Amino acid sequence: MKEKLHHFHVAILIYMIQNGVIIMSLPRLVAQNFGYNGWIALIGLSLVATLNIFLISLVHRFGGGRSIFKLFEDVLPQFLLYPLYAFLTCIWALTGCLVAKNYVYIFQILSYNTTNAIYLMLLIAVLVFLFVIKGIYNLSKATTAFFWLSQWMILLLLFYFKDFEWARMTPFLFAGETHILEGGLSVFSAFLGYELYLLLIPYVDNYKKTMKAVMIGNLLTTFAYVAISIICFGFYSFEQLKHMAYPVLDLLSYIQLPFIERIESLLFGFLVFTTIITTGLYMWSAKETMHRILPKAGEKLLAFLIIGAALAVSWIPDTLSKVQQWLQFLSYSEIAVAFVLPLLLLAILLVRKGARP
Amino acid sequence: MNIFRRMNRAGNKKPEPEMRPAAPEEQDVKPELSHTLNEFKDCADLVHQSLPDKGVHFIFIGHLIGLEAFAREITVPFENASPDDIAQVLGRSQYREIGDSKTLIKDILDGSVAIFHDGRAYAINLCKPETRSIQQSETEAVINGPHDSFNESAITNLSLIRRRVKSAQLKIARLEVGEVTKTEVYVLYIVGIANMEYVNEMSRRIQNIEVDAVHDGNMLVQIIDDQPNSVFPLFPTTERVDSAVSRLTAGRILVVMDGSPSVISAPASFFEFFSSPDDYYQRWMLGTGLRILRFAALIVTITFTALYVAVTTFHYEMIPEDLLLTLTESRSKVPFPPIYEALLMELTIELLREAGARLPTKIGQTIGIVGGIVIGQAAVQAGLTSNILIIAVASSAIASFVIPSYVMSASIRLIRFGLIIMSGMLGVLGLMMSLALIIIHLSGLTSLKSSYLTPVAPNKLSDWKDIFVRAPFWMLRTRPTQSKSPNKVKNKMRE
Repeated sequence: MKEKLHHFHVAILIYMIQNGVIIMSLPRLVAQNFGYNGWIALIGLSLVATLNIFLISLVHRFGGGRSIFKLFEDVLPQFLLYPLYAFLTCIWALTGCLVAKNYVYIFQILSYNTTNAIYLMLLIAVLVFLFVIKGIYNLSKATTAFFWLSQWMILLLLFYFKDFEWARMTPFLFAGETHILEGGLSVFSAFLGYELYLLLIPYVDNYKKTMKAVMIGNLLTTFAYVAISIICFGFYSFEQLKHMAYPVLDLLSYIQLPFIERIESLLFGFLVFTTIITTGLYMWSAKETMHRILPKAGEKLLAFLIIGAALAVSWIPDTLSKVQQWLQFLSYSEIAVAFVLPLLLLAILLVRKGARP
Repeated sequence: MNIFRRMNRAGNKKPEPEMRPAAPEEQDVKPELSHTLNEFKDCADLVHQSLPDKGVHFIFIGHLIGLEAFAREITVPFENASPDDIAQVLGRSQYREIGDSKTLIKDILDGSVAIFHDGRAYAINLCKPETRSIQQSETEAVINGPHDSFNESAITNLSLIRRRVKSAQLKIARLEVGEVTKTEVYVLYIVGIANMEYVNEMSRRIQNIEVDAVHDGNMLVQIIDDQPNSVFPLFPTTERVDSAVSRLTAGRILVVMDGSPSVISAPASFFEFFSSPDDYYQRWMLGTGLRILRFAALIVTITFTALYVAVTTFHYEMIPEDLLLTLTESRSKVPFPPIYEALLMELTIELLREAGARLPTKIGQTIGIVGGIVIGQAAVQAGLTSNILIIAVASSAIASFVIPSYVMSASIRLIRFGLIIMSGMLGVLGLMMSLALIIIHLSGLTSLKSSYLTPVAPNKLSDWKDIFVRAPFWMLRTRPTQSKSPNKVKNKMRE
């Protein structure tokens, strides 16, 4: 019997895909786009994500646990299918690769300024390749191990209680300069990752438990984001926060232990785990999609080609700001995919149900 | 990996080994004295005795037979019997009539005495070869608890286990490995506690081995494990009887091999290699402390030297000012980059360890002292290395020996070199990438088709209390999930 993913692992998987380097700049994004006490907006955005998860769970439920590819292939003709698959492959592969590149570029602000980024990217690509070819079951096992190895860092927030001041929170809500829609979209990209639940459907069994697990994963992410943002809002002044590129990174550099200090590089190093998972899962999704176009191609070969191609394309943006521009564009597309894909699938299921005698 | 599997695993067509016995033995021929003697031609240790007046011949391998039993079962009854009574004597149940030559030859090799009388052949097993006495294990010594350990005789080892598990549910299946050596291998399991799928899988793997000889349990384990190319041991081996029995009652399977004191248990998880029988013989808080210490030792041994290299090569800002002065002073005389310095020291430690392990104890001690002075004082004074590195290297070497399993400890010491090199190349990012690689590798490993990372992935929180800590006995109610035991509850104790 094919092994199924346990809902505990699904929750961890979703949490780890969602989490990533964006957490370093999230409090600034929230402050810039939502103004005073902007962290409260995270709860609203999390609810939007929850709604989207519910939508995907309907596809899971009405589709009877069948893969989304099978649902598409039952209805759509090949000339529509292949471009759709190719589009999804591109979006997922590029998102995955640029997440890694973003990580590498940010790391180069801290260290390795003279190291060529190609070198670092190639190493991450090798790790991602080894990760992806293990198959989804082993992938979720590795993710769980990475989770335990990296998430203890959340406890570091306790270090800041001493310097935290409630007065900095101010009684204002969303006051000051705000960009609710545009900013909302860029902050919402921090929640992306849950939409890969669509591809996990054939590997899980009970839709209710899975839906709960994905929602719990999203809830954990929300908790982590909100906790870190609150600390940043209470630790820095609002204006300061708005002008810091990576406030969480600076926050980490405050930690001092008797024998070690300025450990932000070390702690940022731990984020390579979440980066590998986010990139790996997007690459895995791209590979699964590509496999529908080229069913005879070997899984390893496909993974190799997709990672290689994504790596080559991701070479075009050559500065951090360009990478972030690309990522922003990709995350907008990904948000569209996250909402449109389940709606399209639900429409297909409704049409099929109507057509059935 | 697949190539290796193909060599050993099931159903493949492999050319017959050249050293196979001659063809006539393969056929089902009636055992005859002349044929048997011919088979053992040029075997100087074969003994052929006869009682010509009674028409009885005995054939056996002298050193495999117990003299006392030989006198009791052969000398006395046959010498005292009249020629007419021989048939009656041979009618006793201990003398088995053998119908084919192949079986008879095998019985002789197993320590039986072959008796030829009146055109018929009989065998009686009087095997009592010389063995090492039961001694304390040198590689798995404990402070408290039983000190007896397995030796090279499978029969002794089975008896040690049987004495501790007085249950008819303990089943022992006998198999053979080695086309030439025909080494006996026993698969032990407790019916009702062990999962039969594991038992069948293990038996299948052992039966499918096609090699000429297997010399030790630690060699067998590499042939039957799931991924022969992994650096990590997938099945633990133990020389301790209590440890083997505790695994048996936890629903695992044991494999006892004749000629080896190492008993294999399966399935196993990565974390199982960090527990020792000592944990259970002390108060649970001490046991828990020891477990935590061992996992801390794992982190220290893997990361300490690598972190030193990473920090001193790329991240000087991480060192507090006061410490930085000391470190800079200590490193100022060293002409090499930290990576060379660290690799040199690590290599020296490994050389010392290997030399100490191979030499007799007394010379081993000398090597330890000389080595200690060389790497401790002289290397620093000569400007080859810094004081702080010595502390890092020594701590990680000591920490590696805290890991109770020697095989696991050796594997971890080996991967440490990879981590040091990566840290020297890429600092903490290299260190983290290496750790990620190790985890990705571990997540793909299986032990008898069950996840090697159990109970972390798949996550089984209920098992954590007997892996990362040693909870009080009243809390350890269930068998490990990895055993997939049909009888999950092992303990109904109440507080």
